[in-house]
Amino acid sequence: MSLKKSTKNAEVQEISSKSTTLKALLLVTIAALLRYAIMTSKYQSIIANHVEVSTPLSSWKRVSEGSFLFSKNINPYDGDLLHETPLAIKFYKVMLHYVFRNVHLMFIVFDLGTGMLLYLAVKKYAFEFQQHHKDRKKFPEDVQKYLPSQDFAQKVSIYVLMGFLFNPYSLLGCIGHSTMGIHNFFLSLFIFGMIYGSVVVSSFALAVCATVSFYPVILILPLSIYFVKEYKSNTKAVLAIVNFVTFLVLITIYNSNFGKDFSFVKNVYGCILSVPDLQPNIGLFWYFFTEMFDHFRELFIYSFQINTTILYLVPLSIRFRNTPFVLTVALLFLISIFKSYPCLSDLGFVLSLLPNFVHLFPDCQQGFVVGVILVISSSLAPVLWHLWIYSASANANFYFGVTLAYAIAQIFLVTDILFAQTKWEYSLKHGKDTKIDGEDGVLSLE
Amino acid sequence: MRLIFVLYCFLHVKSSTFAIQEDTFTEELLIKPLFSEQVYAHFQFATTWNIDPKNENYHHSHLFPRPIGETIERLNIQELHISLTGGLWRYETWGYPVVDAAPGAEIWAWFKHNTDNVDTNWKLLSNSLSGLLCASFNFVDGSNTVSPQFSFRPRGIVESSNNTFLRYASLPREIVCTENLTPFKKLLPCESKSGLASLLNSGYIHNTKYHSVSLHLRQICATEACDKLAQELQLSVSLVYDYAIMGTKNWSFKKLFGHGLNGNCPLASRSNIFVDLSSKTSHDFELTPEPDDVIYSIRGGQEQMFAKYDIPPYFLSVGAKYQNNLDFNVNIPPPLHACQYLTGYGQERGGIVTEIYNNHWKSLDIVLLQNIAWFVPVYLHTLKIVSNNNQVIEPSVLKYGPGKQREKPYYLEVVLKLPPRSLTKISIDFDYVFLKWQEYPPDANHGFYIGSAIISSYLPLAKNYTGLPQDASTITGSFNASRVGYLVQIRTENMVITLPTPDFSMPYNVICLACTVVALAFGPLHNITTKRLILKKKNRKKLLERLKNKFVEKFFKKKEEKSENDKNE
Amino acid sequence: MNYIKLKPNLSLFLVIISVLATYAQLDPRFVENVKRGKHTNNWAVLVDTSRFWFNYRHVANVLSIYRSVKRLGIPDSQIILMIADDMACNPRNPRPATVFNNANQHINVYGDDVEVDYRGYEVTVENFVRLITGRLFPGTPRSKQLLTDAGSNVLIYLTGHGGDGFLKFQDSEEITSQEMADALEQMWQKQRYHEVFFMIDTCQAASMYERFYSPNILAVGSSMVGEDSLSHHVDPAIGVYIIDRYTYYALEFLETVSPESNRSMGEFLKVCPKSVCISTVGVRKDLFTRDPDTVPVTDFFGSVRPIKLLEKVTMMDISEIELPKEVEKAVDNEPKKRYYYTRPLPDFDLLVAETKKLETGIDKEREKEYVGYWY
Repeated sequence: MSLKKSTKNAEVQEISSKSTTLKALLLVTIAALLRYAIMTSKYQSIIANHVEVSTPLSSWKRVSEGSFLFSKNINPYDGDLLHETPLAIKFYKVMLHYVFRNVHLMFIVFDLGTGMLLYLAVKKYAFEFQQHHKDRKKFPEDVQKYLPSQDFAQKVSIYVLMGFLFNPYSLLGCIGHSTMGIHNFFLSLFIFGMIYGSVVVSSFALAVCATVSFYPVILILPLSIYFVKEYKSNTKAVLAIVNFVTFLVLITIYNSNFGKDFSFVKNVYGCILSVPDLQPNIGLFWYFFTEMFDHFRELFIYSFQINTTILYLVPLSIRFRNTPFVLTVALLFLISIFKSYPCLSDLGFVLSLLPNFVHLFPDCQQGFVVGVILVISSSLAPVLWHLWIYSASANANFYFGVTLAYAIAQIFLVTDILFAQTKWEYSLKHGKDTKIDGEDGVLSLE
Repeated sequence: MRLIFVLYCFLHVKSSTFAIQEDTFTEELLIKPLFSEQVYAHFQFATTWNIDPKNENYHHSHLFPRPIGETIERLNIQELHISLTGGLWRYETWGYPVVDAAPGAEIWAWFKHNTDNVDTNWKLLSNSLSGLLCASFNFVDGSNTVSPQFSFRPRGIVESSNNTFLRYASLPREIVCTENLTPFKKLLPCESKSGLASLLNSGYIHNTKYHSVSLHLRQICATEACDKLAQELQLSVSLVYDYAIMGTKNWSFKKLFGHGLNGNCPLASRSNIFVDLSSKTSHDFELTPEPDDVIYSIRGGQEQMFAKYDIPPYFLSVGAKYQNNLDFNVNIPPPLHACQYLTGYGQERGGIVTEIYNNHWKSLDIVLLQNIAWFVPVYLHTLKIVSNNNQVIEPSVLKYGPGKQREKPYYLEVVLKLPPRSLTKISIDFDYVFLKWQEYPPDANHGFYIGSAIISSYLPLAKNYTGLPQDASTITGSFNASRVGYLVQIRTENMVITLPTPDFSMPYNVICLACTVVALAFGPLHNITTKRLILKKKNRKKLLERLKNKFVEKFFKKKEEKSENDKNE
Repeated sequence: MNYIKLKPNLSLFLVIISVLATYAQLDPRFVENVKRGKHTNNWAVLVDTSRFWFNYRHVANVLSIYRSVKRLGIPDSQIILMIADDMACNPRNPRPATVFNNANQHINVYGDDVEVDYRGYEVTVENFVRLITGRLFPGTPRSKQLLTDAGSNVLIYLTGHGGDGFLKFQDSEEITSQEMADALEQMWQKQRYHEVFFMIDTCQAASMYERFYSPNILAVGSSMVGEDSLSHHVDPAIGVYIIDRYTYYALEFLETVSPESNRSMGEFLKVCPKSVCISTVGVRKDLFTRDPDTVPVTDFFGSVRPIKLLEKVTMMDISEIELPKEVEKAVDNEPKKRYYYTRPLPDFDLLVAETKKLETGIDKEREKEYVGYWY
């Protein structure tokens, strides 16, 4: 009987997975058409020119300039317009000239690739998550209705795909030719590799991410935790670290033209870490370091960068060691909030991972606030920018206010999710009931 | 004691006798009525010093200014060119000046090829010049200095013209006023006490459309055969008076300089005044007094006539009286002129456009030099050169040095062949940058200056050309001086951009607000990672009640304690 | 090397007057001063800290004092003049290269002979403190240094916009009274002055010298704490106030002083009673050991100039002197060499050809440097 049931289940699953795959393909097609339509319209250049989309680190114009200077035998790292690594420039050039032959096409394909990788990765992760909670009897009765249902994996993966492809943030990033879209492809490749347990793929993708935008370097910790916890394999974890370091060294050797020219280090990592370019973006750094007193500049650069990288790394890794995927997403979130040159693509990417936590949503308290702040700040940002820069009727403070609100929304979101996660863990053990001696109790952190 | 004095005398004698023989000084003034409503006056003071450059002892000079000599020696300078200018020379109506100069301050120097650290010497040079000429040359440093490959090759005789020994910088914002003229006059042998320099009255000089003070130091041939070298120093003052400001067309020394000339400088070997009579044919004027001589000069296919005055040791005042008829002439612009402007709106993206007019019937080779400040980051891949609105021109040679924030400027040098009778537009895009709040000047909203573009070329004709040939140091030397080409270095307008500014009163607020946001993340994350979730009884009492309880509790507790204490006592 | 050419001239019995003196005698007054431990030289630091056209009056203030100290004998080399903006050649000035102290254009305080040592953006708090404490960067020209010693009487004049305890520089930064006091103390400890006369014409000027704690400073400010310092009158031709009251009357007084006059500092401190100044002029004498009524104004505004009198003058025949011989030899050995001028612009045809060659040939090697990534 049980065998019969399980085969039936499998059948149902197969059918539903087939239909989700079709759905996914349909979504991808629609997304591609949508992207192409907007990209070829006049709005492309308007979007590409927005500081929210093109930061000094992710602007395609700067990549073109770097590429052009290389072709003229001028080292672009003598100047400070280019903040991408030589390998990245080479990669774009090869992709553009030998593979795609069209900038729009290149960005669309990478974006869709990101979506597909996330889709596949999440499908497996959600399936495993659902399997983990399959044996309902293990959990208190009042929690059971909150446990993931049969079609959890299908639902979540489609949500993630939709969330990525039709999320305005990643959409704008892709249309605006933000190279962060391509960096995100490698980030999704990393997640894909991690969930599928491939040491080489995950560590390679992470090494690429770490060399182009530095901050993902901290994700090596969740990666190794993931291998230890989910695959119960210490060898994999060690191998991942070794591979990661090896790839890092190899890429750096290539970047430095086999040890001859390290001028890119100052322009790429120096720029990310010491924030010399104060062009506004949606992050917290630009106005803070514009208005900083010179003698405190270094102190605050150190403290802000520590805050972004290692401050939360260890405590979160310890706290969420049993749920390394949650840890990964939390760290990605924190990076996208606190990195020195964030752009919309960063937020788009992490937002699309949220559907993984649908089971936590009932415990989230600030969804409405976060949603409202995000909508308001995202729509006000370009307006206030225009007022400041073009009509000179507002000033920098207005735009700064928007970026503050934007950061606050993201912070609320991530802390809310993490708090919900702790509650979820609690309720799996003790049930949803919060009555003490018949009286209503309240859950609090102490 | 006596011995020392004998020695001193010996040295004194040696140096002074040498000097008497070896320094020569000439003073000249060229007055040229310009096509339009202006008159151009150019003072040319030249000192030549037959010193052996290997001797390297510049201390003992006679007429040569000692501070300059000391600077050359100490900083190993081969050539030095400085100009301080107020106003813009209008090439399209005024023709070519004797000496080209960009608005503001401009300085370029060649160091000797055995100089160890050119950059240190350059910094020291700009510092000492800032003291010498009361100008802000101390703002010249690596962040606004370039070493152009083609535009500023040495003007005199040098051993090597490798551009690693060349430095060029301009300060477009520099204001030129009396305090620059005062030390300048002190470099002349007669200072402003006699000779032509006594005409340099700051009140009159600065009431002009264009005024420029320049200093050019180089090595020249001491002899005809050019087997010996001499150090030459040209000091010049160029002025363009506007008839509208003067109130009349009839100029005289009193009108131009406030008073007449009280004799020549006795130390000068030659003191002359030249008045260009070429415009007399179209617009007749009478000179008073009658010139001592009239010089005919044929140069580069142009016939010219000059009235010459030898300045006597007594009073002289030259004036011109125009015939009272109204003539309107057609302005024929010179073969090559240019202008520069900004494009775009807002404070996000813009473009720099340089328009170069070639009115010559043949194509012209030119070099365009742009020294773009670091706060105007340009994108080389947006460089477009279009002639006559449709013909795209490929630069024959392109030299580019990318700039770096706060460290070095963007350097662009393009060699072009301009098509005959054409207007060529050279455009490049840039971004507006955001600076740290302490980097903005006190008048941040005044804007930031972008210096002139410099267009250099050899003209085949000397039409409307007054420049000196390379081998001459005086205006006299430019008469009948036909050469293969006539060098012009056109300077375009300066440009001002207003960079977006932060709110200068906000530093504390911004620091507090941004740190608050960081703390907003830190607090909950700290709680989540360090605390446990526990179930607690809910406090159902209302807020007001709770506050009241707390207050009462505190108050009574204190009283109780007090009474307990009393009891204990 | 040109010695041979000169030889005939030398033999023309060129006689040079040279001077012999067994000892040099100094001005008796100067010797007296040194003996009595009085000052031996005078310096002036005159600072205008305000930018922008509407602060014309501050520039006129500082130039008034500049004119006076120069007239009374302090040479330009011992005056450090700092002016934050250019008023004389400002496009808004209808009379270029002039700054007047009076709408009737009595005195052009800018003059025809002015040397501004720090101007425009160079006038910063940092530069000012560096200047007076002598902590300048290497390579700073002499005219931008305050080369005072233990025998120097220094006049420090400041004008601009002030408040209680600070003076604004160019509307973007400020020096506090404590910083000012510490800078003066540093001067004293480095023996950079003998006496200082500190004069300040700003609002709440007295607050600037309240914190002084170094000896031998006489300070005067145009207004007390809580008071505004007022301008004198407006010039309708230029549309702005032309000078401040206190400095206007100070200049009026100084115009009556000649280098020989015996007018005292006591008189100078009273030049602007409240009836004309409207603000109360503040004076601080407690750090100053002498009685201002016995101190001549020229102790600060004039200059001590030690003069050496030479007694004996001898004529010498130059032909007696032999010139060193190696010079002649050098001339003989020097090979004849022809020099050439460098072409000011490169030969374009040649240049284009060379560039093409580079692009086709050597460029391949250079490509490896940067473009090694590509191929």
